[in-house]
Amino acid sequence: MTEKPIARPMLEARDITLKFGGVTALANISIEIGPQELVALIGPNGAGKSSLLNVLSGFYRPSHGTVHFEGKDIGAWPVHRVAQAGLARTFQGTHLLPHMSVLDNILVGRYMHMKSSLTSAFFYYPYAHKEELKHRAVAEKILEFLELEHIRHHPVGTLGYGMRKRVDLGRALAMEPRMLLLDEPMAGMNVEEKEDLARFILDIRESRQIPVVLVEHDMGVVMDIADRVIVLNFGSKIADASALVVQQDAKVISAYLGAHE
Amino acid sequence: MMTEENLQQPQTLPQWLLHNAKNRSQEVAQRYKRDGVWQEFTWLDVRNQVLQLTLGLRARGVTRGQTIVLISENRPELYWAEWAALAIGAKVVALYPDAIESEIEYVVEDSQAICVFAEDQEQVDKVLPLMARHSDLGTVVWWESGGLWSYRYEGLLGWDEFKSLVQPVHAKDEEWFEQVVAQGKSQDIALLMYTSGTTGSPKGVITTHGSLLHNASLIGKTLQLSEACDYLSYIPLSWATEQWVGVTLGLLHPMRVNFAERPDQIQVAIRELACEVVFFGPRQWESLAAGVHARMLDAAQWRKKIVNWGLRIGRLARADQMDTIKRHWWVRFQLFFADALVLRPLRDQLGLKGAKTAFTGGAAVSPDIFRLFASMGVMLRNVYGCSEFGLISVHQGKQVNAETIGQLVLMPSAWAPSLQWRVSQEGGLEVSGGAGFSGYWGKPEKSAEKLNGEWFQTGDAVGMGPGRTELIYYDRVEHMSSLKGGHQFSKQFIEVRLRFSPYIKEVMVVGDASREHITALINIDGEVFGHWAEQNGVSFTTFTDLSQRPEVLAQVASEIAVVNRTLPESARLRHFVNLPKELDADEGELTRTRKLKRDFIENRYSALIEAMYANKAHELIEIPVRYQDGRAGTLRATVTVGRASTQSDLEI
Repeated sequence: MTEKPIARPMLEARDITLKFGGVTALANISIEIGPQELVALIGPNGAGKSSLLNVLSGFYRPSHGTVHFEGKDIGAWPVHRVAQAGLARTFQGTHLLPHMSVLDNILVGRYMHMKSSLTSAFFYYPYAHKEELKHRAVAEKILEFLELEHIRHHPVGTLGYGMRKRVDLGRALAMEPRMLLLDEPMAGMNVEEKEDLARFILDIRESRQIPVVLVEHDMGVVMDIADRVIVLNFGSKIADASALVVQQDAKVISAYLGAHE
Repeated sequence: MMTEENLQQPQTLPQWLLHNAKNRSQEVAQRYKRDGVWQEFTWLDVRNQVLQLTLGLRARGVTRGQTIVLISENRPELYWAEWAALAIGAKVVALYPDAIESEIEYVVEDSQAICVFAEDQEQVDKVLPLMARHSDLGTVVWWESGGLWSYRYEGLLGWDEFKSLVQPVHAKDEEWFEQVVAQGKSQDIALLMYTSGTTGSPKGVITTHGSLLHNASLIGKTLQLSEACDYLSYIPLSWATEQWVGVTLGLLHPMRVNFAERPDQIQVAIRELACEVVFFGPRQWESLAAGVHARMLDAAQWRKKIVNWGLRIGRLARADQMDTIKRHWWVRFQLFFADALVLRPLRDQLGLKGAKTAFTGGAAVSPDIFRLFASMGVMLRNVYGCSEFGLISVHQGKQVNAETIGQLVLMPSAWAPSLQWRVSQEGGLEVSGGAGFSGYWGKPEKSAEKLNGEWFQTGDAVGMGPGRTELIYYDRVEHMSSLKGGHQFSKQFIEVRLRFSPYIKEVMVVGDASREHITALINIDGEVFGHWAEQNGVSFTTFTDLSQRPEVLAQVASEIAVVNRTLPESARLRHFVNLPKELDADEGELTRTRKLKRDFIENRYSALIEAMYANKAHELIEIPVRYQDGRAGTLRATVTVGRASTQSDLEI
């Protein structure tokens, strides 16, 4: 609910520059995400939104600059360590296991929290059994939260796109993240599916009290739900303010509608 | 002394609960599918939950004689809340989960409710505005936290918060609980069951503990349930049926009462539990039957042939037995294969594999539906009664006559004497004795209208079936209609038969003393016709467009012609129109039980009705509509008047 970033942001990126050969994807970008903030990352195609998200979650190494998550410098950490620190993300499109059930796909998100080894799982030691029950309980809570109970045993491949995106979100939640990064969660959805998902995103923020960063193209959704909007264009940040202010920003308007050189 | 005490039965529902908790403490009373697993509650668990809730109610200042409203899908908490309210001596009103705010407000006002149990955010959002307007309504309790995390209102309590109002529970609290339950008497008011409001505003039917126990024990006697029988609770608690069977018979028999994970998982749960008793309203049986037909439309030709063969053999072997035609050995031989190939899988698909008793009730069911399910090997039994008086008749024994609504239940119970009955001069059924009629809440003049001396007028026009033990239901007395020529007919009778067509979702028959013949407003089944149109190469855009396609009109006309053949010459359907929009409860065209609100529909579509009688070919109409999000708009459409054949095949 906080309008302004809190004194100590949860995630802090300083002077991020990302180069692919001669192409500069991101140039000197600094952003801060406060606790419980819902931040939208927007910009025209190729503006560098996904690249920035990839840098934040450790998929890309920035050529220059630092990323701090809860005070720790995670810029050089491998991806799995970033995830363990509590930064969960979803991808454009869906990267699910189509032949596995909804429940199993969500359980995959629990992997990081699983302790039993292959041997103990194979011989089904008592503690492996106990652990399985525990993870199943967490997965069931997520199924209930996202209203997926009725399809828990359906293979993901048989579901519609909107539902698959919801499962994708469920898998990210299964990691019990301390911050959620969503890359175009609503791309390709119809209005109804978008409304559902927007509701779920707001509910996640409200019930888990974690910040959510989403890359999104649908301006209607962004303006409705985001506390703050960060606008990128050609790899630079051109605006960082509340939705209302960003809508009036001349630079943003020209970035979207094209400007005279 | 001991034996006398044992003989003395508990007199109220909470007393039965304590009785079970004492004598069957470790037996499973309820199961609730949560997290994909059936969670069990023993009688002792249930008793402890109810104890906490009762203490919570006491802490919120609820006392004997006050009213508590419940609004939720069926789940254990709903039962517990009802029992807790009854334990403290309050009366309960259960509402449909899809009741709209004004309906809830009416009930809260009429019953002077002081506390509401609301399932989730959806229900809480409807109840919160009422709290501001009704100062007596001081407590709202929810049990599904989704979306309610940041709600902070005076008097709005979460389930756990409410249960911990009195924590820890001391011995003296338990003592008080036992005492307050023991104070209950069988003539105490347990429920106000609100009528669906087909005739005017809803009235709260006063229902005592004795009446609930009487009716439940009669149902128990006719059901002959097995020991430790499973029952799936899915009928809304606002129906008398669920109060008798799930809530009361569940305590009395006792049965293990199960709750599905979500309302849309009922079919799955029925299959999983292989329920012994299945209870559906007529519309649900009809939609199951229509579902079988509709899915068949998509199947390959050879599959259709096999299914039709199986159903035909089933009908010859089983259903026609209802009309006492002897089975041929050849049919019996084929039945073995038909059952293995078609009928058993069909039963399994519909969740009726374990069904020993399949009930229907609430309204008339087409004999065709009876016959279809009998063909599958599931004998439907009609239960007939009214919330004012209780159970009146039910199909018993092996033989079921589909044209009747069952044998009169003329048995006494430990709580009430046997039922008396007679048919008045107007053909209406009148009853007395039994659990009796305790009147409408706060409406003595309305109660008096229902009584003729000591006889309670059910208002149902009935006749006697074979043996003078079975009733035939025609219609409500006031709904029996006559045409200009004096020919009597029952609109409902025709409507039920028309609705059996997979293509027709709702239908309202029009005709009265000022008219010479009968006409009908038809709400086609958009989904089934959508498939049909695809297969027959008929293109359409919207429901409105689809409903007025000449091909669709022709199909509906041929469906009507089939029904016309079963009607007397004088009372056949001449003209019909397909409504350009679906009838909708949110627009007040249907009640929540999906009964037609006739006057309203007749007014709304009067232009169409006049067009049919004026023998016009087309009529342009404009109807105000409300969209789901609350916006209002106008639907403008040209509606074609269809003509149905009134010729009989047998005509010479």
